[in-house]
Amino acid sequence: MALFDKFAAAAGTRDLLGSLPVNPTDVVIERVLSASEAIVCGRPTIMAGTNNYLGLTFEADCIAAGQRALAEAGTGTTGSRMANGTYRAHLELEAELAAFYGMPYAMVFSTGYSANLGSLVALLGAGDAVLLDSEAHASLFDGCRMSGADIFRFKHNDPDGLAKRMRRLGERARDALIVVEGLYSIRGDCAPLQEFAAVKAEYGGYLFVDEAHSLGVYGEGGRGLVESEGVLDQVDFVVGTFSKSLGSIGGFCVSPHDVLTLFRYASRPYIFTASPCPSVIATTRAALRHIATRPALREQVWRNAHQLYGALADLGLSLGPDVSPVIGVAFRERDVALRCWQGLLDAGVYTNLILPPAAPEGGSLIRVSVTAAHSSEQIETIVGAFRDVVARHAPGCAA
Amino acid sequence: MAKPDHHTIVAALIELLHKTLDQPREIGPDTALIADLGLESIQVIEYLCEVEDRFDLAIDEDKLADVRTVGDLAEVVRALLRN
Repeated sequence: MALFDKFAAAAGTRDLLGSLPVNPTDVVIERVLSASEAIVCGRPTIMAGTNNYLGLTFEADCIAAGQRALAEAGTGTTGSRMANGTYRAHLELEAELAAFYGMPYAMVFSTGYSANLGSLVALLGAGDAVLLDSEAHASLFDGCRMSGADIFRFKHNDPDGLAKRMRRLGERARDALIVVEGLYSIRGDCAPLQEFAAVKAEYGGYLFVDEAHSLGVYGEGGRGLVESEGVLDQVDFVVGTFSKSLGSIGGFCVSPHDVLTLFRYASRPYIFTASPCPSVIATTRAALRHIATRPALREQVWRNAHQLYGALADLGLSLGPDVSPVIGVAFRERDVALRCWQGLLDAGVYTNLILPPAAPEGGSLIRVSVTAAHSSEQIETIVGAFRDVVARHAPGCAA
Repeated sequence: MAKPDHHTIVAALIELLHKTLDQPREIGPDTALIADLGLESIQVIEYLCEVEDRFDLAIDEDKLADVRTVGDLAEVVRALLRN
């Protein structure tokens, strides 16, 4: 096979999507109007697929902090944390994240993807066993694969399946790493973290939780599902991203184990990447203060989540099992999902289209996410648009 | 307890595949899991979980690198059961 022949499948996907009126993977945000609106395809559009859960991307003091950092520290660090890329602000953010979680150690990465990749390749090596949820994010799978560890998958959100695999591992279970997410971003369902923690308590091992979509949204203090489920003290590594509730870009890992301080010497995705630029660190720090001090933001995003989930359920749509700020609307037929997604966009509602193999159970999904910045009227508009497109393209219900 | 032979394992794997697939299909030891049956990656994972539970095994994904057909998978299962 010639070097470029492997792109034949990708070309087929591109041609299929390119034949649509709007390619779902090629939507251009022409102008951002606010945390909940933008100009898309030349018209004002409600952004209902951003994962900007707390709506902090236009928060005045976050913007001001970023502007100050730009003026004072420049546009970028131009270096790795291991060389010239560690500024005082990086260390201050790490201290603030550690304090936020009540854990002694924290580490900042340049993206959420590299936080998962970098943490897993540091933790795991050849001969180690890792137990990975079947619907875990690609960054978690890639980190496990890149580490060379033995990967054992268990069914999504299935503590019994995890327990069986831990039992089969025998002595190896004591040093195995269990990798799950908090809130899963495709269907918007939550991990049974208490039950996973109980499996760990029975068989040993370490629990690693990716809270990319749960940070800021769950828990009294916004610390994620690990807080709302009361398992923060039973989790060994919490990983998260700055690119959802914190409204910037980057990632982190916090842990009660001092081995985290050694990740810096063992994690190639951390070592061989430029560090986050000063303005990103500054806006992230400001946004973290909002998460820590403004529970009203969480209350608002949950009001919006309940309003949207309830209204979509009333339309008879097939939704995930949990009410959450990210709602997966399932469709059996890919073409129906495509037409509905296009119809929503034409009606001025941007959502995410998830096609196989990214969607579970061989179906397709339209993913909708709410933010605290959405008004009740905007939620009603989203619901109205769904009502119309489903009546037109999926009469008799979607799934 | 006697370990199941290759044919017994193949029969069990085919039975589990029929449960995984939406449509009835003709499946034999030479049937390719992805090329012939078109299993999506998530379906493969769920299927392998069923296989592990049927044989009370933990299958490391690396062991599956060369698995293409039902027969190939049966050999992996048989080797793990022997060990």
